[in-house]
Order: sequence, then structure tokens, then C-alpha cells
Amino acid sequence: METVSQSPSVMMAEDRSSTEPSSDPNPCPICLASVVEESYLDQCFHKFCFNCIVRWTSIVASKRSCAPSSFKCPLCKTENFSIIYGYDGTSFQQHYIGRSVRNRSDFFSEAHRYRLKCYYSDPGNLADKLQVSRYWKFRKYLQQNHFLPNWLRREIQALMQEEDVDIIMHHVVGVIDSLRRNWLKNSRNSTETAQKEFRLSVSEAARPFLTGRTERFVNESELFLASGLNIDAFDKAYTEHLGWKIPGIEHDEPLEHIPAVPYLYILDEDSDGDGN
Amino acid sequence: MQASRARLFKEYKEVQREKVADPDIQLVCDDSNIFKWTALIKGPSETPYEGGVFQLAFAVPEQYPLQPPQVRFLTKIFHPNVHFKTGEICLDILKNAWSPAWTLQSVCRAIIALMAHPEPDSPLNCDSGNLLRAGDIRGYQSMARMYTRLAAMPKKG
Repeated sequence: METVSQSPSVMMAEDRSSTEPSSDPNPCPICLASVVEESYLDQCFHKFCFNCIVRWTSIVASKRSCAPSSFKCPLCKTENFSIIYGYDGTSFQQHYIGRSVRNRSDFFSEAHRYRLKCYYSDPGNLADKLQVSRYWKFRKYLQQNHFLPNWLRREIQALMQEEDVDIIMHHVVGVIDSLRRNWLKNSRNSTETAQKEFRLSVSEAARPFLTGRTERFVNESELFLASGLNIDAFDKAYTEHLGWKIPGIEHDEPLEHIPAVPYLYILDEDSDGDGN
Repeated sequence: MQASRARLFKEYKEVQREKVADPDIQLVCDDSNIFKWTALIKGPSETPYEGGVFQLAFAVPEQYPLQPPQVRFLTKIFHPNVHFKTGEICLDILKNAWSPAWTLQSVCRAIIALMAHPEPDSPLNCDSGNLLRAGDIRGYQSMARMYTRLAAMPKKG
């Protein structure tokens, strides 16, 4: 190649500059150094160090009289609601502006973590397995699902990483209940319109809180309702489908055995394992 | 404090590298204090400031870049958004529209842009602002050009 004739001193200078940390082609715009703890804004996806962007958002918040729920990206001025960080390939964490950092407390269980992880996994043909189309076709949606409020609470907790989500949960439940009452009144409604109405209303209700995850949340809610399962059975079916082993969600024990020996089973796990 | 120092050091290295790239700006850090900088900027062409070289003084706060640097003109300039006596600059990015993604270098660029596009509706120099608001472009330009000659051009001979 012709470039071989380049003088060695130039090559060395280039070498040196490329090994310097300051020559990171994509540094954090705030500290100008290589990004530490990659964090992304939820709307514009600009990247910063976690500490840099959190410090900046708290400065922004301290300048306003009431705690803001959004902030402008330092680079593009897009309004963002949260910082996405700790992405490890399957799950991530989210920090909402105006709340204390990393206050994820005891409420966030393994089950919450598994639900959050689901939003980063392809559910594949789970909708077929759980017979979603039958749910609409045979108008099963006219029956109330008593597991829904608890399921929704856990789902929204997992997505928002916030314990007190009951207002949002009741809001979504209320929307679904009023839909069902309407469907009961106008029984001539086609099942396709019912499904469309469901998707539209639930996403409208949830979007202000779940933003970019709303579509998937609607899908998951539909899956849960259509499955007709309770929360435990739904989790079991879901994790089995994805081939996940989640502590706290039992796979090996057949369902009907659980009521027979519930306490013995728990004791077994807690003891040293030398019992029967 | 440590964070601002580290970031200013990065900017210092970047300035050394970019010196050739932007001939209109010459940023210099104080020998003994990395929080004190001065800049020489060239008056933009096709403005009454053309041909002048203006000196800016930067005082960088310890919370930088979470807080903006304080910048003022050391060279006298006749411009609606610059205080005639103190050199204070009225520019939103130096106040409430500050973003930590700005650098000293890009602030200089913003000031050059402000020189070319004065905002007569938020004047620090009312005489200059009034001339522009009254539509007396010629009056404003000749005043600005005169002060550029008087204060921003090297004396001949």
C-alpha cells in the first residue's frame, strides 16, 4: 500500500493520541471523559455517565419551585422523563427525575425482576399458546378477571421501579372495567372492535406513566387476561415458555401437588436440606 | 471541584489540538489557575466588528460544567447585549439556558454568533439597542465600527 511511506514519527504520534483516554470518540458530553456507567435518556437516547447526568438533573430540579417530572437533554433539548442505566443485556434500571436515586427497596422481588426482563425478551408465539385469539373470539372478555388488579400492580411496579403505583393501577383497571360494561350493554359489538378498543384505551391510560413501554405493556396485559390464569400459573407458563429459571417461581412441582404439601415444601427449602 | 478540574483539563487538551481548526478563537488558560481563562475572538466578517480582535475573560465556577462560566468582554464593544462599562454579556446560554454540554470553546462561538446577530429587545446597552430598534442600522453600525477601531484594532505605528 502507498501509505507505508508515512514517516514513523507521525505514526507514533497517532498511536499515542489514540491510546489516550481523552481521544474517546464518544465521550460523556458532561465530563468529556469516557462514559462511566452508561446511561441513556428515555426519549432521545443520548448517552452520559450515570453520575454526571443525575447530578445535572438534580441541579435542574433544584432550580424549580416544584419537583419537575421531565428535563431537557443537555445535547438536544428533548424533554426526557427518566434515565436508563445498568443495562446488562437483558434488564436495566430506570431513574426518574425528582426522586431519590437507587431507592429500589424491598418491594422489588425476583418476580418484579423477571417481569421487567420480559420487556427485553421476545415473547415468540406465547400469544398463540395462551390462546389470545380465542379470548376475543369467544367473548371471554365479558367476564371480570379478579386477578387483574394484583397482576397490574406488580407489572407497573416492575416497569416504574416504584412501590406506590396503586393510583395508576386503579386507573387502568377502571378503564378496562368501563370497557367491559360497555361491551355488556352493546352485545352486538364485533369482537375485532372490542380488541381494538381495548388496545387503544389501555395504551391511552398507561402511556403518561409507562411512555416507551406502553405498547408492550398492552400486549402483556392482553396476554394475561387472555390466559385466564392466576398470577402464579401465568408466571409459570411464561417462564417455561422462555426457558427461564426464576427463584420463587417453581417449575418442577406439578401445580396440583402444591396445595397438598404447602408448608412442608417451604420448610424443605429453608432447612439445611438434610430432612426428607 | 475535582470534576470541574478534570473537565477543564480535557478542554485544555482539546483547545491545544483544535487551535489550527478554529482560527477565529484563541483560548488561553491562566498559567497558575485553571479556573481563569481568557479568549481572543475575531469580530465576524460583514459586521461592524470585522477586523477587530476582542478579549474575553472567563471565570469558571467550581461547579462547572453544571454551572455556566462567567464571561465578560475586556475589550470595549458597542453592542446591544454587552454592557458598555462592565463588558457583561446578556446571553441566555450563559444564564438559564445553560447546558453542561457547552464548552468554553463553544461559548466563544456563541458569543461570535451574538456579535453578528444582536438582540435589541433585551439590551444591556440601551443606546445601541435603541438605535437598532429605531431602525437606524447605519447609526448603530458606524458607532460599533468606531469603537471597534478605537478599542479592538492594533494601533498602527
